[in-house]
Amino acid sequence: MQFFKETHIDILGKRKFAYMFSGSLILIGIISLIVHGGPKYGIDFTGGTSLEIKFEKNISAGDIRNSINKIGYGSAEIKRIGVPEDHQFIIRVEQMGEGADAATVMENQLTKDYPDNKYDVRSAVEIGPKIGGELRRAAVVAILVSLLGILIYVSARFEFKFAIGAVVALFHDVMITLGVFSLLNLEISLAIVAAFLTIVGYSLNDTIVVYDRIRENAKIIRRDSAENIMNISINQTLSRTIITSLTTLIVVVVLYLIGGEVIHDFSFALIVGVVIGTYSSIFVASPVVLEWSKRTASKKGQVLLMRSTR
Amino acid sequence: MPRNQLLKVVFVLALIVGSLFSLYPTFQLGGMQKNETFLVSRITKLTGLTKTDIEVGLTEGTLESKVRDHTSQDSLENALQLADHLIKLNTKIIKVEGKAIRRGLDLQGGTYLVYEVDLPQLLNDVAKNKDQRLIDIIKATQKQAEQSGNDFFDVLQENFRSRNVRLNRYFGRKGETDDDIIKELLKASEDAIDRTIAILRNRVDQFGVSEPSITKQGTRRIVIELAGIQNIQRAKKVIGTTALLEFKLVRDSEMVWSVLNDIDRVMRLKRKGQQPAKVDTAKLAEADTTQFKEGKKAENKEVSLSDLFGGDTSQTKAGKDTSLLVDQNTFNEKPFTSLLRQVTGRYSNVISVPIQNVAAVQRILQLPEVRQVIPSDSEFLWRIKPVVVGENSYQQLYLVKKEPELLGSTLTDAKVQISGGAQSLTSGAAVVNFQLNSEGTKTFAKVTGMNVGKQLAIVLDHHIAMAPNIKGKIPSGSGQIEGMSSIDEAKDLALVLRAGALPAPVYAITENTVGPSLGHDSIQKGQKSAIIGLLLVVLFMIFYYRGSGAIADFALLLNIVFILAFMAGFHATLTLPGIAGIILTVGMAVDANVLIFERIREELRTGKTIRASIDSGYSHAFKTILDANVTTLITAIVLYSFGTGPIKGFALTLSIGIIASMFTAIFVTRLIYDIITSRVALKKLSI
Repeated sequence: MQFFKETHIDILGKRKFAYMFSGSLILIGIISLIVHGGPKYGIDFTGGTSLEIKFEKNISAGDIRNSINKIGYGSAEIKRIGVPEDHQFIIRVEQMGEGADAATVMENQLTKDYPDNKYDVRSAVEIGPKIGGELRRAAVVAILVSLLGILIYVSARFEFKFAIGAVVALFHDVMITLGVFSLLNLEISLAIVAAFLTIVGYSLNDTIVVYDRIRENAKIIRRDSAENIMNISINQTLSRTIITSLTTLIVVVVLYLIGGEVIHDFSFALIVGVVIGTYSSIFVASPVVLEWSKRTASKKGQVLLMRSTR
Repeated sequence: MPRNQLLKVVFVLALIVGSLFSLYPTFQLGGMQKNETFLVSRITKLTGLTKTDIEVGLTEGTLESKVRDHTSQDSLENALQLADHLIKLNTKIIKVEGKAIRRGLDLQGGTYLVYEVDLPQLLNDVAKNKDQRLIDIIKATQKQAEQSGNDFFDVLQENFRSRNVRLNRYFGRKGETDDDIIKELLKASEDAIDRTIAILRNRVDQFGVSEPSITKQGTRRIVIELAGIQNIQRAKKVIGTTALLEFKLVRDSEMVWSVLNDIDRVMRLKRKGQQPAKVDTAKLAEADTTQFKEGKKAENKEVSLSDLFGGDTSQTKAGKDTSLLVDQNTFNEKPFTSLLRQVTGRYSNVISVPIQNVAAVQRILQLPEVRQVIPSDSEFLWRIKPVVVGENSYQQLYLVKKEPELLGSTLTDAKVQISGGAQSLTSGAAVVNFQLNSEGTKTFAKVTGMNVGKQLAIVLDHHIAMAPNIKGKIPSGSGQIEGMSSIDEAKDLALVLRAGALPAPVYAITENTVGPSLGHDSIQKGQKSAIIGLLLVVLFMIFYYRGSGAIADFALLLNIVFILAFMAGFHATLTLPGIAGIILTVGMAVDANVLIFERIREELRTGKTIRASIDSGYSHAFKTILDANVTTLITAIVLYSFGTGPIKGFALTLSIGIIASMFTAIFVTRLIYDIITSRVALKKLSI
């Protein structure tokens, strides 16, 4: 069985289209981010209280809001999750209780207001504002540290320009996924940041495979142009890239469909990331290396792919 | 079979056997837990005990007596037998649990709490002299450290330096350098946290939670994980109580009066120039209260906060209900005392504050000019709970000597007792009896002997628990604390007193509770998606790579066995994101094989022999796999060091999966190919 026999697609020749495609995706994401006033952070980052609750009988979000308003928690966000028959809600308030915690205060009020409608507390999360700030910082540091680690490793194993290509591709992936989350108004929680880092690792994995082939081919096919060598290498690894993406996509889609509410958004981020990451390792990473080589080599009039090969 | 091939096979088989051995307790546990659920439901049916009752009974070792109390005679024998089975099973489960994969709180339900030690309070406690400047510096440090995320002690040192104040003015010895003092303070705070952890562990253990985890995080945080706990509110109260027990002498009425007069004077000056409050909406006085001190019947009236504090509305924004209850006859003359009442039949030096006035009184006592007129060796303390007289509640205020006579650290034991005796007011209520050590007993005897007729307040966390009259010298070193509203409350108080006071207060900054129903759903859904995802990938590999796909599938299964065995062996925690990590590994682990197989196909196309193709396929792919996996590993390790709880679980399974896949996808599959090709002369490779 084989989906791709030997392919000969001029990928580098179409790189202008890829730039436009990627550019517009990123632009849409940035516009959405500006319109929404930045990413929508989950309580991991903002601090506050979130209560997930499942009632036995029918109740509307308005009923719950009335109850929460009585306590004086004004800007509560009440969201129904699952199918309506689940009677399941997430209640989010900015407050973190003093003395008794906010989750308990809300539970008590709901019991008082709707004594006949029993409920089951699925989860309760309270995050102090201080922790929120710390986690935000930690998330940024984590992303920067991993990008730096990648930059160093790829520079050491290949060359600096390859590292630039890889990091641009990763940045591209994270920006687009962030944009998709903003467009769909999904929250950026700690788990989503973890998903971003996983996407970074995954997309890089794909990119490295292509780079490896370029390095190998650069040694064998010395006389050819950098563009051709890259094209050959991407085509040779295309089958592998697609197959691996497919197997990974299979499992994350399964995770998304039946993994349950807790990791729903997490697996959604992975789906977007795997698709975008595969695309970027083919259409973004290598073209960026080529552009970089052309700019630095223009004085000598020759594009060097690998210093070590000459 | 060649010798080195045989060695490799033996090595792989040994690993598999070892893994299965390490996984055995986890399988065993699954069956045991099913049995347990069954037994519990049988006992519930027979006795009417709830699941919670049974669990608490198991941890406290009181299950048998509970069953005896709740079961009718005819089914008692049967129920006791079941209970006996359950107890035996439970001890086995606890033993096996220590060797099995631990399920994270998100899978079994439970609470994850992060506490922070109150460093400012700790510094305040160890300071040689405490003045406003020190308080200001500590406050500023706390705020800056929070905003910048820098280390508390670095910011503290910087703050002292920028204000040109030497640290040895407040801490350490004379002549010590700032650096040395910071080092000492750092050590003191570390000590305090270690002691806090020890005490909290002691408390949580007594509370009866299975496998509680209490760990230090950073320099001032404590993470507490409680699995499947039934009453979170109660547990949090037990953990969060500082339990600082002090014995302080209550000042007599003459001194109280003179201090109140001084405060009235200050408040009168403060209100000067204000319109006298209007006296039209007067309410009738309650029959059982009188004006404080003068003994006349109080004529209650409602005024607003701004009447009291003047036009300064910035102070009145907080409360919703700002109306106060004052005595209209004395309000203008004695603004402070008019807020206070005396409840008939109580000690004359105890001030009762109507509940709606408490906030205002608290604020007045905080005013700098008021603090100046309170003698420096005395302080006002509130009683823990309000008293109810008729329809009204009053919070009581005591003036006590600041210096404690005796500390709770001399306490050796505390027990709950249900007080008996029909004539006693407190009969039937729970009290806590405590016993002091020999040194404490001596001091206690001396203090009680010297202060007969006075009141000795028992102060818990800066609130008065009770303030009995000393009737005579107490030589036994034992005493009693009353006033608990339930047996549980008394039990918890005795528990925290026994475990000892925390060196500094702690407060919760994060709480994450997962209900058992969500945990149960998560496990089921996680397992289901893992199995379906795995099945699809396995089928795809066979469909796409035929025989070679089957070899890769074998490696994949082995990979999962290794991940789980590693987790069981190191007693690591499996979380829902951890399951996601395993699932993701399934997708990514086949990547190594895809790389190899694609390479072999390429080599075959160039016309090489099967063996040569396999050889060069593996050797070419190896370098790529290594590079690709190292970079993924970098991000997984970053993830592990930055993430908390569940995220760590994800990074862990992902990392183990990547490393294990290098072994299974390269070494094991190669071995299988070698064995096949060395025995059979393949005409065509199934790939």
